[in-house]
Amino acid sequence: MADSNQDFPTTLGADAVFKGQLHFEKGVRLLGKFEGEITSEGQLVIAEGATLTGDVKAGTVRVDGQVKGNVNAATKVQLSASARLEGDLQTQRLEVAEGAMLVGRCVVGTNGQTKPAVDIKPVSRSAEFVSVNRPKSSEPAQAGIKK
Amino acid sequence: MSSTLTEPGASIKKVQCTYCDGMIDVSLRAMSIFCPHCKKRLILEDFKIDSYYAVREFSTCGDVVVEKKGHVVAPIKAGNLTVKGKVQGHVTARGRVQIKKTGWFKGELEAPCLVIEVGAVFDGFVRIGAAPSAT
Repeated sequence: MADSNQDFPTTLGADAVFKGQLHFEKGVRLLGKFEGEITSEGQLVIAEGATLTGDVKAGTVRVDGQVKGNVNAATKVQLSASARLEGDLQTQRLEVAEGAMLVGRCVVGTNGQTKPAVDIKPVSRSAEFVSVNRPKSSEPAQAGIKK
Repeated sequence: MSSTLTEPGASIKKVQCTYCDGMIDVSLRAMSIFCPHCKKRLILEDFKIDSYYAVREFSTCGDVVVEKKGHVVAPIKAGNLTVKGKVQGHVTARGRVQIKKTGWFKGELEAPCLVIEVGAVFDGFVRIGAAPSAT
């Protein structure tokens, strides 16, 4: 079970207000308000109703509450339906549930590189004419290069 | 959430204008119409793109699928968007945007729902869900 006390030895309660820097190794569950910077290699859970203002650097981040700041997760970021995230996001894997709000620059799965894994070669000028065929019965239309 | 609403058995569907957000009743067989609210031409077809496709504007009320070999360089307005290939540009979707595991996206994205599969590459500014608070 992911939410067991073994996975999350530290919990900041719903009535807690914390300002400053936080560093942990295993997992932290945030239920209250946090202002500052969080650095970790473990899992961070921002529960529903919790508020985090500041930058986060962690292994895995799950957001059910509200985050204002930049999030950098080595493995995964999960945004549930109640999540609100305003800030830049960098991770290898992103899951956004329907209803979640996310505003900011987002870099996913690039390992910090912004170039595509495969170089995109420009198509020759003569092949730039594109035709859009009308769909046959219920099939969607096809757009392709006509040489 | 989709820009196209169809009642079962009906020959008319409801679409939302990609420019003025006005709701319009259109025939299921219609491929394009002029919006009665803003008078702009709307494409209602679904598109499947499997090659390089660069245009100044790519707008449809239907769904767009960019296949593995597809590479779209354009501002896109669509209902639902599925990216299996490459997309560069400003995307505004009224429904779900899915970046599949082979997908590559660079640009800006506005949509109510986003799904990024493992292995997909996404780089850009996103606005998912409701508008942010003014504060």
